[in-house]
Amino acid sequence: MIIAILLVAAAALSLVAIVGIAIARSLQVSGAASPTGQIRLLDVEAFRNLADPAEEDYLRHRLPASEFRKVRKARLRALAGYVQTAGKNAAVLVRVGQNAVASSNTATADAARQLIEQALLLRRNAALVLLRIYVDRVWPNSDLAAAPILDRYNRLSGAAMLLGRLQNPAEAVRISVR
Amino acid sequence: MFQRHSFLWHYLWVAPDLLFGVLAIILWKKGWHKKLRGFFFYAGFQAIQCAVLFPLDHVEGISGRTYWRVYLASELLEAVVVFVLISDLFADVFGSYAALARVGKLLIRWAGGLLVIVATVVTAFAPIDRRFWTYGAVNVVQEAMYIIVSGLMLLLFASAAYFSLAWKRTTFGIALGLGITGCVHLATWGLGANGLFKGSTFLDMVDMATTHVVVLMWFYYLLVPARVVARTEGAPLDNNLAVWNRELERLLQQ
Repeated sequence: MIIAILLVAAAALSLVAIVGIAIARSLQVSGAASPTGQIRLLDVEAFRNLADPAEEDYLRHRLPASEFRKVRKARLRALAGYVQTAGKNAAVLVRVGQNAVASSNTATADAARQLIEQALLLRRNAALVLLRIYVDRVWPNSDLAAAPILDRYNRLSGAAMLLGRLQNPAEAVRISVR
Repeated sequence: MFQRHSFLWHYLWVAPDLLFGVLAIILWKKGWHKKLRGFFFYAGFQAIQCAVLFPLDHVEGISGRTYWRVYLASELLEAVVVFVLISDLFADVFGSYAALARVGKLLIRWAGGLLVIVATVVTAFAPIDRRFWTYGAVNVVQEAMYIIVSGLMLLLFASAAYFSLAWKRTTFGIALGLGITGCVHLATWGLGANGLFKGSTFLDMVDMATTHVVVLMWFYYLLVPARVVARTEGAPLDNNLAVWNRELERLLQQ
């Protein structure tokens, strides 16, 4: 009896999730507006500082262990915020790229494909880094490797810029402050 | 009206499978059976399964035991056909992106393995009447199959939404239909396998009505052309030219 109830509940929740995602996707397809307005600018320098292992080593040696753990937790929280935003920006850029990929201009279509691939890699890496950050928040003495996501984000900025330039030479899509 | 062998019951059994047959023929005639290989086999299999099971249920000399044995064998075959279809859907959604092709394969492998374990544990608790085990086995096989199907379809939709992936209209329609039937059938077979609504046609009716609605939905997604949405670019964001030019140069030098 309990198993039957659990199965019905799981089926109902799955059904609601699948139909909800399908409706959201249909609304997205029918919406004609460009999604670039949803991009939140990121301060790459601040992100770079937070992800810098040398900075962390410095703090580890300068601060008492308890103080370091507190500071590190706060830094990880801030870093998670940056990574989440970078991941959300990547998802928006996937949609921007998909809107442009059917362009009759070969250069624009190629730039769009390149943007999609880079944005998808960033989105995947963002998920992995977030997972890593949450693990690090539980085990504060482990080393964090968020640097690859920064590199990917910089490359994504370039790809978004290139596509923006090809679509509209006067303006371009911007995803970071500096 | 809601009784076994009533007109509605017969209609809900036969109509969706007839429609499956028509859909399979249309796919063949349009030459889409290669493009939609998994779905073509699925639709064809559903039509053939009905063509075998319906007469077996109605011919006088055939015992219930024989009917459920044939049903069980057809369910095992259906499981193979459904998993080929799901594998095609994953390949279609993830395969066109080089960055995610490996992720798609890993997802289906690990999630599939995990769901098989969950299905095995859940079905181990299902009560089976040993005097008439084929009926119980049918329930258990269906319950296990739909645990895996609904889990994989949920994973497909959730991961496609997470990565903001674009779906082809046909793939989206097929996946949505399979997701809906997977979830509804999980609930009904879950209840049936655990001995609830025993002897009632309610669960059969829900199952068959869902399949009917979903087949009509598949006709819509496969045969009605999509509306063309005109895309306009929104107002571009402001820009720091020096930084972006540096980024572009760096990109060009890679």
